[in-house]
Amino acid sequence: MDHPRSAFGAPPRRGRCQRTGEAGSAAAAWSAALGAPNLRRPTELWLLPLLFAAAALLGVAGDDYWLEIGFRLLLLVTLAEAWNLMAGYGGLVSLGTASFFGVGAYVLTGLVNRADAPLALALVAGGLAAAAMAVVVSRAVFRLRGLYFTVGTLALAEALRLFMINYNGFGGATGLFLAQDPPGLRGLYGIALALLLATTVVMTLATRSRFSILLRAVRDDEDAAAQIGVRAFRVKLAAFIVASFLTGVAGALQGLKLGAIEPYGTFGVQWTVTVLSIVVIGGQGLRAGPLVGAVFVVGLGELLADWPALHLAITGVILIVVIRYAPQGLVGLAQRAWARAR
Amino acid sequence: MTDDPSSDEYVGRSPEGIAGRLGAARRSTRTALLEAEGLVKRYGGVVATDQVSLTLARGEVLGIIGPNGAGKSTLVGLLGGAVMPDDGTIRYDGADIGRLPAPERARRGIGRTWQIPRPFLDMTVRDNLLAARYSLHPLARRADAEAACARILERCGLVDAIDLPARALPLLRRKRLEVARALALDPKLLLLDEVGAGLVDAEVSELIALIRSLRSEVQGIVIVEHVLRIVRECCDRLVVVNFGRAFAEGPTAEVLASDDVAAVYLGTAHAAAKGEGDSAAVTAAAEAAAVSAQKLAAALVARAAVPYEAKAPLLELRSVHAGYGQARVLEGIDLKVERGRAVAILGTNGAGKTTLANVIAGTLRPTAGEVLVDGRVVTGSAPHVVAGLGLAQCMEGRRIFAPLSVEENLLLAARRAGAAERAARLAEVYELFPDLKARRASAGTSMSGGQQQMLAIGRALMGRPRLVVFDEISLGLAPVVMDRLYDALAALKRAGLTMLIVEQDVERALALADEVHVMEHGRFALSGPARAVRDDPRLRHLYIGTAD
Repeated sequence: MDHPRSAFGAPPRRGRCQRTGEAGSAAAAWSAALGAPNLRRPTELWLLPLLFAAAALLGVAGDDYWLEIGFRLLLLVTLAEAWNLMAGYGGLVSLGTASFFGVGAYVLTGLVNRADAPLALALVAGGLAAAAMAVVVSRAVFRLRGLYFTVGTLALAEALRLFMINYNGFGGATGLFLAQDPPGLRGLYGIALALLLATTVVMTLATRSRFSILLRAVRDDEDAAAQIGVRAFRVKLAAFIVASFLTGVAGALQGLKLGAIEPYGTFGVQWTVTVLSIVVIGGQGLRAGPLVGAVFVVGLGELLADWPALHLAITGVILIVVIRYAPQGLVGLAQRAWARAR
Repeated sequence: MTDDPSSDEYVGRSPEGIAGRLGAARRSTRTALLEAEGLVKRYGGVVATDQVSLTLARGEVLGIIGPNGAGKSTLVGLLGGAVMPDDGTIRYDGADIGRLPAPERARRGIGRTWQIPRPFLDMTVRDNLLAARYSLHPLARRADAEAACARILERCGLVDAIDLPARALPLLRRKRLEVARALALDPKLLLLDEVGAGLVDAEVSELIALIRSLRSEVQGIVIVEHVLRIVRECCDRLVVVNFGRAFAEGPTAEVLASDDVAAVYLGTAHAAAKGEGDSAAVTAAAEAAAVSAQKLAAALVARAAVPYEAKAPLLELRSVHAGYGQARVLEGIDLKVERGRAVAILGTNGAGKTTLANVIAGTLRPTAGEVLVDGRVVTGSAPHVVAGLGLAQCMEGRRIFAPLSVEENLLLAARRAGAAERAARLAEVYELFPDLKARRASAGTSMSGGQQQMLAIGRALMGRPRLVVFDEISLGLAPVVMDRLYDALAALKRAGLTMLIVEQDVERALALADEVHVMEHGRFALSGPARAVRDDPRLRHLYIGTAD
């Protein structure tokens, strides 16, 4: 990220002209990929395949440590992309991520245990169940706007968590074991990569299409959008369903990896909080925000893995600093720096 | 979109128009496009709209006028669907739409603008329009949709801003965007809520031309407006609203000539112009008000006097340059404001008047030049430091703190004063503007535009300022309310308050000011005593003619 900035920060000298030019084009590519306005060149077309190729290479060549980290990263980017679609593009700041995530994990486990469903089907079913839940609660939560929507989704998540702990039908507080052996780590990594690929396609469609224009219109001013014929409820519902589906599949995948699920972990608020910090740190409503934020958060987690208390404190401080000084996150910061350098 | 066969004749709503065919059609189908009956809207105990009925024939342009707070915007909201009526029916194009939500009405061809512009701030101007196109025609070809948007922006004079985020547009350009976005719906019925406020004559002429050209494309227009020229030149018929009720109705010329309308809306200036005899009562009342205002103003200003010995002018600007990023707005402004004087800054929109006010307030740092208060350089001082020197701002757009009540808004400006002092100042402001006292506990922005402007002025006075910058205080106000505000300003001036008036209403500013500067392209193109400037032929040229 610093690359273009440092190249431009230094006064251009003769000997470095070649190199500066090179960095300049890389920087332009970045700024386009990061969703800089008015640049209609589809840089995503070549940058994204490049990133996916690198991720695939890691999946083939990486050892277990890197596969673990890679899996976590892919899963979190998927969740963050889904959250960004709602919050960043739709203005729907949800604190209910964990409930959709948990529903996905439980549906997968239930289908595999009870019906011996094939894994691919169970994963998709996890997503569909989460999407169905989104439809069911939409009437209630969309009545609330802004902060009230946020609190409404938090209430939903907490209610569901307490229900899962206290109701014995789904294993209660002890949870469920997956009857089947989960696939190997490399296999899981592959599934996570495929899920992220699907997510990326969906997000590219959703953020570059005319749907995104309607969604952003609703985000900026719901009443004004209604007055030009935008059916705000449907637009928000579409974003909610898509995001919930992706969250549900991610939850199912996490359940599959763990092989054992219990309500504290899968319905726990830590998923919601991690995803939220990723997007806030990366940059809300920016295409590259989730990826950059996830790399940052996962990287920080690894660096401070031996000091969990310190990790929490530092993440908190970073969140405060980012919200205060870079409301558009690291990506927004880079964009501004780039605009200034130019 | 036009599933109704009877409306097929009107399909050609493209800018090319089908004026001829439409004219024929209008004559053949003389049915009403819009019929509203017995509309009622209550907010808690307040009745904003009380049994209002109106009819709009096809091809007609209907004006709605009335004092600020009369319920005009509520009426537009009721017709457009943003506000749901408590009672009454609305028939549009043969169907009952009284209970339809706003998006469904928009899809049937009702486009509206918001009095306070509500663009999609974080989207480009083009995307603001595309949202309307795509919501109606999700499968339209992208090139067609974008071409339509470009065409509409061209007509509305925004084509140069097509790729800018709407956030970057100043207030008056956002108003243009409101019109453009409503037009992007290809509306059959257009509801224009005060789109003319704040425009200078040349821009008003442009807007009138636009509205007239729209007559051949839309089937009906409802205009809520305070700019009388627009009302006079565009509307076929007028409805006057007062206290939520339709107070008078009829052909434009008749309504404007009516004495009752003059009394509730047009105000004394208009009444005086058309003859002294029939408006004696109005004038007498105004005079009585002026006398009491005079006493009050004296109280407000007298204690503001701060001992000073310097001979220097209260405020002085020396060749100030300023701008935003690459855009240079002020290019060498020299200005002196002596104590007790009223100085007016006139000029077209975009000339740099508000930028100048921002420099004086300290919210914008000049790139070159000096700002002096009492002869001391204060260039680049923070706004609170400037305020501490006794300079108060009455900012464009009022800037009322929405979450605070009227009284809290006022008290905020007098935080440093003791409790007794604060109470005294409050009492004086309330006496100057009794409307505020009645609404002291209401939210600041829940009041009508005129009351909000009173609040903004009152707030500026609460700090016992030595100089107040009044930036566009007449914007969007009914003539009768403007009269009251300028009466208050005149009283303050007689009481010795130094004031800088930034204004696009030339007549009112000239009547009040001692000195006048006319701005053009970031410079003072014409300066002098008000009397001399008024008679200077260059004023007309600078202000009304195309300055280029």
